[in-house]
Amino acid sequence: MSYPKSLKRLTALGVAAGVFLFSATAATAATAVVTPSAAQAKTSSADKTFKVALLNDVDTLNPFTNVLAAGANALALSYEPLVENGQKSNELTGAIADSWEVNEDGTVWTFKLGTDRKWSDGKPLTSDDVVYTFDLIMKNPDLQKSKGALVEGLSSVEAPDAETVKITLSEPQAANPGVQIPIVPKHVWEKIDDKAAFANDKDAVSSGPYTIETYGKSSGITMATNPNYWRGAAKIDKIVFVPYKSTDAAIQALRTGEVDFVPDMTSAQFGSLENEPNVETYSGKNRRYQAVAINPGAKDKNDQPMGDGNPVLQDLVVRQAIVRAIDKSTLLDKVLGGHGTLAAGEIPSVYPDFYWKPTDSELTLSFDPAAANKMLDDAGYAKGADGIRVDKTGKPIKLRLMGRSESAAHASMAEFIKPWLKDIGIDVTVETKASGQVNEESEQGKYDMYFTGWGIEPDPDFQLSINTCASRPNADGSAGLNESNWCDPEFDKLYAAQHVELDPEKRSELVKEADKFKYTQAVNNVIWYYDSLEAYRSDRFGGFEKQPDGVGPIYGQNGPWGFYSVTPVSELEGANSESTSQNSGSSLPIGLGVGIGAVVLIGAVVAVIMRRRSSSDDRA
Amino acid sequence: MTDTLSRGPGDSPGLGLEADIAPDIDEPKRSSSWARYTLVKAGGAAISMVMVILLGFFAFRIIPGDPVRLLTDGRQVSPEQLDIIRDTYGLNDPLIVQFFTYLTDMLKGDLGQSFVYNQPVTELIGERIGPTLLLSGTAALLSIVVGLWIGQRAAWKRGSFFDKANTGIALILWSVPTFWLGMLVLMTFAGSLKLFPTGGMMTVASDAQGFDLFLDIAHHMVLPVLTMAAVVYAHYLMVMRASLLEEMSGDYLTTARAKGLREDLVRRRHAVPNALLPTVTLIFMALGGIISGAVTVETIFSWPGLGYLTFQSLSQQDYPVLQGTFVVFSAIVIVMNFFADLLYRVLDPRLRK
Repeated sequence: MSYPKSLKRLTALGVAAGVFLFSATAATAATAVVTPSAAQAKTSSADKTFKVALLNDVDTLNPFTNVLAAGANALALSYEPLVENGQKSNELTGAIADSWEVNEDGTVWTFKLGTDRKWSDGKPLTSDDVVYTFDLIMKNPDLQKSKGALVEGLSSVEAPDAETVKITLSEPQAANPGVQIPIVPKHVWEKIDDKAAFANDKDAVSSGPYTIETYGKSSGITMATNPNYWRGAAKIDKIVFVPYKSTDAAIQALRTGEVDFVPDMTSAQFGSLENEPNVETYSGKNRRYQAVAINPGAKDKNDQPMGDGNPVLQDLVVRQAIVRAIDKSTLLDKVLGGHGTLAAGEIPSVYPDFYWKPTDSELTLSFDPAAANKMLDDAGYAKGADGIRVDKTGKPIKLRLMGRSESAAHASMAEFIKPWLKDIGIDVTVETKASGQVNEESEQGKYDMYFTGWGIEPDPDFQLSINTCASRPNADGSAGLNESNWCDPEFDKLYAAQHVELDPEKRSELVKEADKFKYTQAVNNVIWYYDSLEAYRSDRFGGFEKQPDGVGPIYGQNGPWGFYSVTPVSELEGANSESTSQNSGSSLPIGLGVGIGAVVLIGAVVAVIMRRRSSSDDRA
Repeated sequence: MTDTLSRGPGDSPGLGLEADIAPDIDEPKRSSSWARYTLVKAGGAAISMVMVILLGFFAFRIIPGDPVRLLTDGRQVSPEQLDIIRDTYGLNDPLIVQFFTYLTDMLKGDLGQSFVYNQPVTELIGERIGPTLLLSGTAALLSIVVGLWIGQRAAWKRGSFFDKANTGIALILWSVPTFWLGMLVLMTFAGSLKLFPTGGMMTVASDAQGFDLFLDIAHHMVLPVLTMAAVVYAHYLMVMRASLLEEMSGDYLTTARAKGLREDLVRRRHAVPNALLPTVTLIFMALGGIISGAVTVETIFSWPGLGYLTFQSLSQQDYPVLQGTFVVFSAIVIVMNFFADLLYRVLDPRLRK
C-alpha cells in the first residue's frame, strides 16, 4: 500500500512546528518569570508610572470625533476647557480662563484668560487658540460629532485681545458656554489637512496635566506629565492605560501588580478584593441614576398619541401606586450590594448645587404597599377573583416591564418587582431585549415600563430640556430626544425660567423644583444613584482627590483631579518607609517554568531519537 | 498480535466509512478531469461568496435600533446634530442606494468607514487580523497535532488506560465552557502563581525589540493558546480515533505485519495515513471557523484581535465593521473549504484517475 509523500512531509512539518512552538512558549515562561522581580529592582522611574486598566475600547483620541468614554477620560486629562468643574463640589472654576462675566441678559460671556497658561511644548496659550477651536467646531460639520450640540446656540466667538475671549449667544442662557469644549493648540492643528481623520495618537501638544505620548491597539495609551501645566506638574512621570477586555482579568492584574488601578467593578468583583493585601478598595458616589420609566401615554410633537402603552397608566393614581409598591432600599441592598445611594429626583447628590434632597414629608411616593392598595381601591380598580385588578373597561391590568438583555441588574430587579406589583393587583410580564431595540421601542412609546438610566452632566440644563414638550418626537418616533415620553406645561415653565436665570441660587431652586415636580408625576421612578467601585495598589500610590471632595469617584470625574493628584507612596506625607517587597513565590514559578522547559526538551529529544531509529529500521 | 484486528463492542463506525460508501451527489464524477473538478468547486465557492456579500449587507440592518442613537447614547445631542451624523454615514439615503454604494465600494476593495472608530474598515481589520491569526493559528496547530497524535495512540490501544484517560480528559475539556476554563487558567497561572501575564499581547510601555519582543509575545500567548487548544483538541482526537479504528480491520495491515514490520511501523506507516483522509477535510473546515471562534478567548485574555472588534461592533451596530468582518470571516471559511476539496483529491488516489 503506498501513500503520498506529501502527507508524510505534512505530518512531519506539523509535529516539528508544534514541538517548536510549544517549547518556545514554555521556554519563555521560564525566562519571563524572572522579569517581574527584575522590573521591581529597577529605579524609581517605574515607581512613578501609574498603570490604569483600560476596560473599554478607545474609538479615537481626536477630541472632535471622540464619543466613547475610554478615550474621553484620557482627553479630559489632556485638553482643558475655558472653565471646568472644581474638585470640591463640581462648582465652576477657572481652567484656561481665570475669570468670566456675563452681561445682564445672558447673551454675551467674556472670559479673561490666565496669563501663565502655556502649551506642553512651551508656546503661550492665547485667545487665538480658543477662537480657533470654537471656529473649527462651529464651521465644520465633520468636527461636530463630539461637541456639536454645545456650540449650537453660539453666534460668534471673538478675541478682542490676547487674553480675552468674547462669546456671543443667539439666545440668553444660564449655563456657562465655556465648559466642556476642549481647547486645542492652533499652531499644531492648523497644519493638519484632514482634521476629522486625524488620529492624535502621538506626541500631542495640550494644556492639561498629562499629554498623549503614544496610543496603540495592544499597547494602550501612554501619557506623559506636562511640565507646563499651570497648576504645577503632576507628581508622577507617566500614566499608562493598559487595555483589558474583561474586568475579571484586570482584577487579576491588580493582584499581581501589573496594573495599579481598576475602575468600574461590579459589587461581586469589588467584594473579592476586600481582603487582598496591598490593595485598597474604594466606593465613590457617582452621577448615574437607575430608574423604572412608566409610560404616561406617550404623545408626539403635535400632541397625537403614539406607541402602545397601557391606557390605565395615563391615570396618575396608578403610576403613583406602582412607585409606592417598589421597595427601593431592598433593591439597592440585594441587587447592588448596597453600593449606591437611594434616589428620588434625577439629579444626583454629587451635584450639591442642583441636587433636590427630599425631606421625609416631600417623599410622598415612599414604599408603602398598603397605601398603594388603598389608592387603587379608592380609585375604583377592583380586584378580580385571581387577585388581579381590572381597569375601567373591565380588562385585568397586565403590564410589560422591558429590560436590556445585556444587563444582569435589570433581570434581577425584575425578579423583585414582579411579585411586588402582584401584591397590589398588577400582573407584570418581563421582556428582555437588545439595547438598540429598547432604545427604539422606548422612543416610540412602545412600552408600559422599562429600565432606564442616565449619567448626569454637571449642568442640568440638557437633562431638564429633554423633558419639555418641544423635545417630543415626530409621529414616527424620529427627531425625538424625550426622556420619559412625558411633558407638562408647569415643568416647561420651570425649565424656561432656570434656562435664563443668571443668579446661581435662584437657578438652583428652580432646578430642584423641576426635579421634584417630575417626581410627583411618577413617570420615572428613580431608584438609586450608582456608586463607582474602584480599587488601587495602596503599596504604590495614594493621595487621590475625589470629586466631590471625599465622597465622589477617582476615575471618570468632570475634570482631571483624581489622576492629577495621584502620588507615589514614597512621597505621601507621613509615609513611613514600609517598602513592601514582592519576591514571595518567585522561587516556585521559576522552578515550575524550568520544569516545563525540561519536560518539553526531553520530549523533543526522545522524538528525534525515535524518528532516527525508525527511519534506519525502515531502510533495513 | 491478532487481537488488534477484532473490533470491540463499543467502537462503532465513525464518519469516515459512510463518506466512502455513499457517493455525494454534488461530487463531480470521479472520472472527470482535474480542471473540471477544480472549476466546479471554484464556481461553488464563488456563488457562496456572492451570497455572503449580499447577506452581509441586509443581515445586520434587520437588527432593530439606530446606530446613531447608540453612538450618542447618554450624551448631549440635538435632533439636528443626529441628522448631520446620519448624513455623513449615508444612513439617510434609501436602503437601495446604500446597498449600491456598498457593492461598488466592495468591488474596489473598500469596506467603508467605521461609525465608531472613524477609520476605514480595511484598516481596522488589517491591524487586528495579524494577532488573531497568530493566536488561533498556533492554537489550531497545537490542538491538531496533539489531538491527532493522542487520537491514533488511543485507537491503537483502545480500552487501555491511555485510551480511557485521554478520551475522558479530552471530553471533559470539550464540554467545559471556554469562559470558565479561561478564567480559571487566568486566576491560577497568572493571578496566583504569577507565571504569566494577565492579558494583552505584549508588555505595555516596554521598548523590547527583536528577539526580546518575540519572547514577550510568546510569553503572553501561552495561556490563551493553551485554553483555546484545550477546548477544541478533543474534536480532532475523537475523529482520528474513530477513523483509525475503521482502518484497523483492514487486510493490508495483516499483510504489513506478515512482512515483519514492527507494530509501531504498521500503525504509523500504514494505518494512520489512511485514517488521516477523513480528518483532513475536518481540519480545513475547522481552520476556517477557528478565527471566528476566538472571540471568547480574546476577551478573557484581552487579545487585540478581530473577535473582540466584532463583538464590540455588534453592540454598537457599527454596520460597516460588521459587514466587513462578516465578509472576511466567511471568505476564510469558503477558501478553506475549497482547499479542503482540492487537497482531498490530492491525498486520496482513488479520486484521481
